[in-house]
Amino acid sequence: MRHLDATAMAELARRDPATVAWFREHLASPCEACETFLATHSDALDGRTDALLLALAPERKAEAEVIPLRSAPRARRFAPPPGRYWGWMAGALAASVLMVVLVPLVKGPRGVSEWNGQKGPGRISLELAVVARSTDGALRRLDSGGDVTRDEVLLLRYHATESGVALLYQQREEQAPELLGRFPLTAGTHDLEGPDGLAGVSLESDEGRLSLALVAFAPGEPASEQDALAALAADGSPDARPGTVVRFDVRVQSGQTLAP
Amino acid sequence: MGETDDVTDAVRRATRGESSAFSELYRRTRPLVARLVAGFGTLDPDEAEDVLQESYVRAFRGLAQLKSVGAFTPWLLTIARNRARTRLERRSLLQRMEEELADPTPETVPALPPTLQVERDIEVVRQLIAELPEGEEKKTVQLFYIEGQLSAREIAEQLGVGKSTVTMRLERFRGRIKRELLQRVLAGRWD
Repeated sequence: MRHLDATAMAELARRDPATVAWFREHLASPCEACETFLATHSDALDGRTDALLLALAPERKAEAEVIPLRSAPRARRFAPPPGRYWGWMAGALAASVLMVVLVPLVKGPRGVSEWNGQKGPGRISLELAVVARSTDGALRRLDSGGDVTRDEVLLLRYHATESGVALLYQQREEQAPELLGRFPLTAGTHDLEGPDGLAGVSLESDEGRLSLALVAFAPGEPASEQDALAALAADGSPDARPGTVVRFDVRVQSGQTLAP
Repeated sequence: MGETDDVTDAVRRATRGESSAFSELYRRTRPLVARLVAGFGTLDPDEAEDVLQESYVRAFRGLAQLKSVGAFTPWLLTIARNRARTRLERRSLLQRMEEELADPTPETVPALPPTLQVERDIEVVRQLIAELPEGEEKKTVQLFYIEGQLSAREIAEQLGVGKSTVTMRLERFRGRIKRELLQRVLAGRWD
């Protein structure tokens, strides 16, 4: 009995009549050897197979435009560049967005609290990545504690182990946390996005150290502003509390966009 | 779904050099490509992002050679799958000397068939999933392909199995679907 292999695939591509006839019958019923070969063999059917399989799930909406959470940047700062740069920028935008690297900064549960005999909601595990978008649209991956300039906008991307809800805060040195928005979380890796589009944090009026904190709550956990503030206040403490806190610090400088 | 009108229109505009069309293509196709890459459970999140990046850079660079605008999505998905495989192969010392998988030549990738036919194909695939024996493999396929929310890594965590086990189950099922499609091609029932 003949099974699929590289030779057979080449013959099929050439439409060799005997090979076509054999495999037309043979592949009409399951064959583990042929399916195993096809699973890892790269050929012209790959793209169509994947397109078909990925069409089974509910369609995900396309990436949305970035909606600033804070005061809208002045128009001149986001003035479109000359037309000849757009092609380069489109490529750079795609490339840079894809370079976002998850920064593991989980400051969630530390240690294990004693079980009180009751089953409670699960705790979300959370990671946060941040990129800075400059006025010319260039994106720059940030490490926590890194420098940014006032004319940049911060874009957030998270990885959550389960769905839930998150409250985003900003906190300046020696000041109380300020709520920027409330966002649904979906399990997996996603851009932080509200009903109006992507969350972008404008830095226009800032200088000095700024801390962003995302407080995530699993379904069933109380998720009010008070709960989020309590979680922020308890951050670093081993005490049990609802909510998982992830922080990302930047230092805002007043100068021009920094080099990548 | 066949190739959507929005995607084909953006491909046409991109090949004419309209830069906004590249962003449009990226915006519209990224969810699909990201799902495909998420099926490779042994790629860590950084590697998955790198694969996505490489795939778009290569696709946009080769776009001018694409003869059928309706073939863009399958071509892009093939590039992404090849990038992911190459990335995994490079990890293996034994396979370090292997040639990396070349990108598919745009003209060899068939365009998506008409929407109606794709919808029929989707029904066939759903039926195949329904007919799988109850068990971990069926659960894995349903979680990844039907529900479409979790990555292979997350499914592995949820089911308490290894990441490579989930990837292997998805590949096995994909092999079954490819066998079905190839048989249809040979029988003249799929263009």
